[in-house]
Amino acid sequence: MSDRRFPALSLATRNLSRQRLRAALAALGIVIGVFAVVTLGLLGNALSVAAQVAAVRRAADGRGTVVPLQSTGGTVRGTGGQSVAQVYGTDNPQALFGNGSGAVPSSHRQGALVGSGLADELDLRPGSTVTVEQNEYRVVGVLPPVEGISPLQPDSAVVLPPGEFASDDVSQVVVRANSPEDARAVASGVRERLNSRQQRVSVFSLTSVLDRISEFFDLLNGFLLAIAGVSLVVAGVSIFNVMLMTVAERRGEIGVLRAVGIHREQVLRTLLVEATLLGVAGGAVGAVLGAATVVVVATRTELPLWAVLQPGNVVVPLGAFAFGVFIALVGGLYPAYRAAWEPPVEALRG
Amino acid sequence: MSFEPLQRTVPPLALVDVTKRYESGGGAVTALSHVDFAVESGEVVAVVGPSGSGKSTMLNVLGLLDEPTEGSVELRGETTAGLSEAERTDARRESLGFVFQDFHLLPTLSAVENVRLPTAFLPDDVTDRAHELLELVGLGDRLDHTPDELSGGQKQRVAIARALINEPDVLLADEPTGNLDRDTGTAILEESRRIADEAGVGVVAVTHDDLVTEYADRTVELVDGVLRDV
Repeated sequence: MSDRRFPALSLATRNLSRQRLRAALAALGIVIGVFAVVTLGLLGNALSVAAQVAAVRRAADGRGTVVPLQSTGGTVRGTGGQSVAQVYGTDNPQALFGNGSGAVPSSHRQGALVGSGLADELDLRPGSTVTVEQNEYRVVGVLPPVEGISPLQPDSAVVLPPGEFASDDVSQVVVRANSPEDARAVASGVRERLNSRQQRVSVFSLTSVLDRISEFFDLLNGFLLAIAGVSLVVAGVSIFNVMLMTVAERRGEIGVLRAVGIHREQVLRTLLVEATLLGVAGGAVGAVLGAATVVVVATRTELPLWAVLQPGNVVVPLGAFAFGVFIALVGGLYPAYRAAWEPPVEALRG
Repeated sequence: MSFEPLQRTVPPLALVDVTKRYESGGGAVTALSHVDFAVESGEVVAVVGPSGSGKSTMLNVLGLLDEPTEGSVELRGETTAGLSEAERTDARRESLGFVFQDFHLLPTLSAVENVRLPTAFLPDDVTDRAHELLELVGLGDRLDHTPDELSGGQKQRVAIARALINEPDVLLADEPTGNLDRDTGTAILEESRRIADEAGVGVVAVTHDDLVTEYADRTVELVDGVLRDV
């Protein structure tokens, strides 16, 4: 009670120092819970932002080209086995799949281009032979792996010259716009002109991809946070348990406090401060550890650091800390109440 | 002091026709039966009796820790029936001091901190008075020792100092010498006697110990919940 202004705080810290290991273990539960919430929350936010930005950047880097695209599905066989793959037909693979790399030709007259994933799977290299639906083609190139989000999935596709398709029907037209705004404008323009009387084409723009990305990540984040939240609730149960043990052991002491004239509310407050301190200590450690871990992950992986350090992310560790403290307080509520409201005669009887 | 005559006629703590019954497994148990009792300022009263005779119940009722089934506990002539839990708590702190057989000191607090524990949540700083009281009971050189650094007798002295911190009217002691050897017990009783004489505090000690009765002004005996003078 060196600090006489906060007797509850002073008594609570003394009591916690009595069973250091037990207090540390109870706080560890909160550390783990808050850590989980912070890391999963921050990572989810950062991934979501990074993915959306990558998609926008792809759209913005486009050259405003319009590329007709035929597409169908088919069995593809190579030396390494066979697979069912998307088959695209276009005369300008460079514009669609080039990613700025010189390996993809801008005009495509013969042979097959193979997506990088499919090439690995079927053991295909430039020069080897690939069979698409009974027809054999020489592999003239492997498409670079796709980065970010795209309406097409070239990684697991084969691209053939359009002449190889039985019909000349173009199933898709891919428009690469110069900016997301352009993309939106083109998409709505196409919708207005072509679909004004009847639904003739469906327009799938990257802006709608962006909406889907954020929808998906919202769902994923919610799910991850729910899991992390469960671990915090478990931590609350362990605080509850520790506080029950503590007040059971200190029953006599609490009886003495009540006998010498300490009020029930003051005993309650002291015990709640004790439980809350566990939450404050565990929450602070968990929040700092979690934030530090995500920063380390970002520097060691392709996840951009700026996506982690955006100002909006501050609420994640702060919120997790506050939730941890709240959970500890709730966990201590019933044990504290039970101890403080026990008649002192019974508490003293031991 | 115009209140002097009044104080002589009104005892600081009294039981008026108190009966206390418990509901237990085998039916109702009468722990106290129509007990009339009063302790005067500066008087030491020993309460003796066999185990289970109701001594602890009597002390709990006197100490406002337990409520009588019938009759009333009077604090300075005023009934305590109808007091709220908070008011009873305040009354305990302001008027009564407790000394227990097991001392019941808080192990995390030093001697001084234990002595001022009853005032822990009050704004006024009683550290100086706690020092004086510890010196009074001969522990002036043990102020910052924690209970595990003190002997049994020293612990009981700290407990007595704690009981006196709020200048109570009555000190209630439950087997104060029960956990002490004879010499230490004697010293504690001499201390209690001196406090009763010098500070005018009434002392009620529940005990098995004949030694206590030697230091008492009078001894009462409880047998099956009925009180009688010895």
